Amino acid sequence: MSYGNQFTAHTQLRLSPFFERTSKLNESQEWRRWGGYLSATKYDLVHDNEYFAIRTKAALLDITPLQKYILEGPEAQHCLDRLVTRNIGICKVGQVMYTPWCDEAGKQIDDGTVQRLGDQKFRITSAEPNLEWILQNASGMDVNVVDDSETTAALALQGPNSRAILNTIDSDSLDSLKFFWMMEARLNDIPVAISRTGYTGDLGYEIWMDPKDALAVWDLLMEKGKPYGITPTGLHALDMVRIEAGLILLDVDYVSARHAIIESRKSSPYELGLGWTVKMKKKDFIGKKALELEQARGPEWEFVGIEIEWNELEDHFRKVGLPPGLPSLAWRISTPIYKNNEQVGYATSGTWSPILKRYIALAHVKSEYAGLGTQLDFELKVEHFRKLTPIKVVESPFFNPERKRSCPL
Amino acid sequence: MSAIKSYDAIVIGGGHNGLTTAAYLARAGKKVLVLERRYVLGGAAVTEEVFPGFKFSVCSYVVSLLKPTIIRELMLPKFGLELLPLESTFTPLDHDYLLRTSDHDQTRREIYRHSPKDAEAYDRFGPLMGQIGMAVRPILETIAPNVIRPSLSDLSATKRLFDHFKALNDEQFEYLTKLMTMSSADFLDEWFEFEPLKATMSASGIIGTFMGPRSPGSAYIMLHHYVGDIDGAFRAWGFQRGGTGAVSMAIARSAKHFGAEIITEAPVEKVIVENGRAVGVALVNGDEYKAEKVISGLDPKLSFLKMVDESDLPSDFVTDIKNFRIRGSSGKVNLALDRLPNFTSLPGDGPHLRGAISISPSYDHLEKAYDDAKYGNFSQEPYIDIILPSVLDPEMAPPGKHIMSCFVQYAPYDIKGGWDDQKREAFGDAVVNTIARFAPNIKDIILHRQVLTPADLESTFGLTEGNIFHGELTLQQLFVMRPAVKWANYKTPITNYYQCGSGTHPGGGITGSPGEMAAKKILRDW
Amino acid sequence: MEHYDIIVVGGGVNSLITAAVLGQSGKKVLLVEAQEQVGGLASTTEFAAGYKCNLVNDVVKWVDPRVMKILDLGSYGLELTSPDIVRIALDINGQHILFHRNADQTATSISTHSKQDAKAWKGFTEYINNLTKFLEKLYELTPPKLPDIGLKEALSLRSMLSPVIKQGTRGLVNFMRVAPMMMPELMDEWFESELLRGALSTAGIHHITQGPFSAATGLNLLHQHVYAKGVFHNVHLVKGGTGNLAGALRKSAQSSGVKIRTNAKVKSIDVANYICSGVTLTKGESLATEKVVSGLDPRNTFINLIGAVKLNPRFHTQIRNLKFRGSAARVHFALNSLPEINGVAKHNMGTVFSVAPSISYLEKAYDASKYGQISENPYVEFTLPSVINPGFAPYGKHVLSATVQYAPYHLRGQSWTKGLKDQLKNNVVRVLENYIPNFSTLIEAAVVLSPVDLEEKLGLTEGNLNHGEMTLDQFFFMRPTMSSAQYKSPIENLYLCGPGTHPGGGLHGTNGFNAAHEILKRQRR
Repeated sequence: MSYGNQFTAHTQLRLSPFFERTSKLNESQEWRRWGGYLSATKYDLVHDNEYFAIRTKAALLDITPLQKYILEGPEAQHCLDRLVTRNIGICKVGQVMYTPWCDEAGKQIDDGTVQRLGDQKFRITSAEPNLEWILQNASGMDVNVVDDSETTAALALQGPNSRAILNTIDSDSLDSLKFFWMMEARLNDIPVAISRTGYTGDLGYEIWMDPKDALAVWDLLMEKGKPYGITPTGLHALDMVRIEAGLILLDVDYVSARHAIIESRKSSPYELGLGWTVKMKKKDFIGKKALELEQARGPEWEFVGIEIEWNELEDHFRKVGLPPGLPSLAWRISTPIYKNNEQVGYATSGTWSPILKRYIALAHVKSEYAGLGTQLDFELKVEHFRKLTPIKVVESPFFNPERKRSCPL
Repeated sequence: MSAIKSYDAIVIGGGHNGLTTAAYLARAGKKVLVLERRYVLGGAAVTEEVFPGFKFSVCSYVVSLLKPTIIRELMLPKFGLELLPLESTFTPLDHDYLLRTSDHDQTRREIYRHSPKDAEAYDRFGPLMGQIGMAVRPILETIAPNVIRPSLSDLSATKRLFDHFKALNDEQFEYLTKLMTMSSADFLDEWFEFEPLKATMSASGIIGTFMGPRSPGSAYIMLHHYVGDIDGAFRAWGFQRGGTGAVSMAIARSAKHFGAEIITEAPVEKVIVENGRAVGVALVNGDEYKAEKVISGLDPKLSFLKMVDESDLPSDFVTDIKNFRIRGSSGKVNLALDRLPNFTSLPGDGPHLRGAISISPSYDHLEKAYDDAKYGNFSQEPYIDIILPSVLDPEMAPPGKHIMSCFVQYAPYDIKGGWDDQKREAFGDAVVNTIARFAPNIKDIILHRQVLTPADLESTFGLTEGNIFHGELTLQQLFVMRPAVKWANYKTPITNYYQCGSGTHPGGGITGSPGEMAAKKILRDW
Repeated sequence: MEHYDIIVVGGGVNSLITAAVLGQSGKKVLLVEAQEQVGGLASTTEFAAGYKCNLVNDVVKWVDPRVMKILDLGSYGLELTSPDIVRIALDINGQHILFHRNADQTATSISTHSKQDAKAWKGFTEYINNLTKFLEKLYELTPPKLPDIGLKEALSLRSMLSPVIKQGTRGLVNFMRVAPMMMPELMDEWFESELLRGALSTAGIHHITQGPFSAATGLNLLHQHVYAKGVFHNVHLVKGGTGNLAGALRKSAQSSGVKIRTNAKVKSIDVANYICSGVTLTKGESLATEKVVSGLDPRNTFINLIGAVKLNPRFHTQIRNLKFRGSAARVHFALNSLPEINGVAKHNMGTVFSVAPSISYLEKAYDASKYGQISENPYVEFTLPSVINPGFAPYGKHVLSATVQYAPYHLRGQSWTKGLKDQLKNNVVRVLENYIPNFSTLIEAAVVLSPVDLEEKLGLTEGNLNHGEMTLDQFFFMRPTMSSAQYKSPIENLYLCGPGTHPGGGLHGTNGFNAAHEILKRQRR
């Protein structure tokens, strides 16, 4: 075995190929770890502008830290079909599917997208590394699994103006690219793949490229996007919009079955509001048997959107002489939910939605309390003291604009 | 001879376990005397200024397993306990290295560049071992029942353990079984592929024992080391400021604070036994002390084959003790350095010098080292666990100078032809040469060298055969069998004679556990 | 096409027993065997013109008495004989130790090496005999599913109490001490003679890839002495060759209505949605059935015949992690005359010989295998089957069959070529010439079976003769995995009956017997 010695012990964190640009743009110099990378939490001193960029203009996010794997070979589809809950057989070339995957007990390990790059070639993305799990389950199959995490860089261009920006660059129009489809494209002769996907619940695209082209693509988008209000955006704003969109986040809203130390930390797709992704008609997939049983008896927990009732919230604060205290950032601290003073659930992430003017959260509640409109109580700290304040189960996604899915053509 | 002084309890041996027992007994209001043979307390956990200005944790060198309850109950921080974390584990290789640090992302990335699969497995392995560690802790914290003639409390303790194991899930139970029975190499092979990573992890399965990483049973030793528990965090290894001797000193001060009396340079000749009851001790100098209880912190061979007459013991017990396997297998080399060593694969200063440096590039390296020892030679290219205490605690060496502590395997006690000066130096040379393979400047920076063979560890510290654990941690020498069946509950066949050393459950390492549990048992019997 | 209730895959000793017992209970059973004859590890074949050999096992260490009784093997032609001298441990100076059935006679033989050891001998054999009582009871059991066992399972273990009652808790403690021991530890407690210590330690390493310094070789030593009634190194000889054991089993099975098809290699065990529905043969024929019982080893059964894709990930991991790594080779020599072994009388040749001058000799032989090499000076155990059964060789000529450890399946920097096999053979010849000086001049032909050959010929994964290492982590409720130790696999309607299950390898048939009973018991529920 020969080793190159190009690493030193002092390089602690991975740097994205966009770091050269993002580091200079990051006025706040606030960074967070994401998948071992240094990732901007916000670029401005406050994140408000970035949030509104996603919802009203265009936001540019470095999403290189996503884990990416290429599965290729005659049995690539079979392998994926066994791995994930959705039916990959019906995924056409150029289509993208969002799907969770489970262990044999039907407990969710991770979730992500599967891109069908060719008849026998797929890319799967995920929040956490999954190579070991994929390799283990590919054993005995004619499929080659490659870790693509460091060989493909990615940007997310999200927001109502995102299509217009790309249309100014790409030779082919994106007008006909449907939600959860992708296409090969050239941005000023730089080959990239563009998928109409994102983690914002808005019109948006994700652009996949060779890391060597990263800076050129960044510069191009920033230049062409300027008239459209393109804004480099960090994780703070992303966290708010993904809650508005009702999208779950691994390690925040649920724990991977591969890492949960205790049984009660694990969740099935049914318990995460992802029952729609479980395709029982499919021949076999990991966890099917357990999920069939769970489907038959109904899940114990459900994952719902909740809204904190405004008037009562305001009352709590008025009583101590304060205006309503709202979180300035999305929070991720598990917060108890009660019914008649008995705990029946917990919210895992929540945010004030500046666009909706609603205080919203995502929560695990016992199934009997998951019906739309169910009234529950939420634990709130008012000036150091804990109070219960009413909430109700509401429809999620909270924010779901027409433009997310629509096509001009 | 002055009038015979009388105590509630006398502890033979001022090692960390003996001192712990003494402190607990004193804390309970008993009048306690500790008798230590050497001029310094601490037994194997001792700091000495071996060369002017250079202080060494001469024998034991890291604190991994000291039980937090003991730290709290004996108020050790008040008496000088200060544990510094070891930040990293560095495995130098011929052309590269493996460096694991306390930062998750950094370690992940480092392992990833060697094996992406291992990086993921590593993330799951640590928590799993933590869980298994939690699963075995109730055993480690239970006074081993007498299985031959169980008492009511023995039965209820057994029931509790049984229920505990029934409550484990399949996966935990499976891995626990595997850890109890497999070799560390086989166990790790199920998880990882990058050999230097596996070899380094497996090394904790051979420390202090006469086994190789491929020997069945070594996985348990690995687990034993994984239950290292500092500040409630599993597997956090620590270094005591001022050397491991300071741990013993803290316990001694605590014991004194609670009223115990400690005498050094007071070697005990014999336990005085009258009509099958221990009534006191006689020193080599002829002094005698009376006590209601006599507690031996020595290893089982010394406690029963030397401190008392065989005729006072049942013959099957004597057979068991004679059959108790001790087998010394490790040596220690302490170096005083003019400056820091420079590793070819990772030159200069850095976090890799602030942790453990493990010379364990491959299983074969460790196995070959073991093979040498099996046939009665010291390892030509030994496994070495190095730390540089002066990097963490500059007061251990004169300003700018350093000390290097090398724990070395294997050096068999029963070396062919016996240990002599020539072999000791040859052994020291083998250690230095092996380090030089990875840090060539080592030879130029050594100011002084102290080499301790197992024979030296025996003569200096009274460790039979130089075994740092007071007896092999093999399956048949654990729990209810340690050191002998029926007498694994700190009692002995001689009424009022107790044992509290590492040769009792739960075994070796600077845990304080045997000492603490022995004290609790003694107080319960009182 | 005829329909069967149960199809048994493989025609080894255990498969035959399972089939026979199930047949007796009135089931319609089909047994399919890939080779042209049944027998597996109990096969006898011709290896050179006119010369026959027992492919793997020249002797039978023990046979489950329940099998002997219920299958009435005596009336189907099985004749087991027990020689008075069960083994001769060869000494370089001709001071061999003769292990007799009678402990006093053995002691006399030992006394030429050590008076003290001779004195300790009888006590040692009694000690070992007592310990094996625990295994005898344990082996009759279906292992419980741990950790969460209920009262019922706990009660099913109650037969374990009988040796405890007889010997006291101390007996159990001794068992718990000795099973995890390594050979030198056990020997240190009893004996001083190097030759004796080596000769006894061979029982601890028999057919496994561990050296005598490995913990739990104590268990393997005890395993060899189950039902030995205190006779150390006890063996039984099968009249007409080991193949006749399989022959008697075949006849017994057939008389219970079991249909046996040879030359019928199974291509796949058919499984869908974790339910087994039958088997498909390599010739393309698919056979549907209610239950399939596999006598093959777990890796063959689950990975090769079912396929990793059809297993739960966790079970797949468990199977993948099983340790096989065979390291015993066989060498059969066709000899032009009866060899003369220094110091061994002609009438004592019908036994087992061992070359194991000391424990370190054995350990050094093992060391090589750790590094993927064959032993320069291997442990050799041999018999002269032609002395025991004159029909094995042409008149006046003879066969010497040797089991050689260690010859690892996993080699480093080389492979099992003819060259390496010759080297192994030459090592054996060199070792044997210390005791049979003109040995090389007697050889007319020789055949070497490496672990790779055993894998190919007998379908033994990695050439492991026990269908999985006999170590503590693969023992009792862990054999083959915690999830399949009850002879029932996690796949519905699929059972296991081979040596890969409790209680492990050997020609004793306990696995097959237990499996059949487990299948019948589950049916009654």
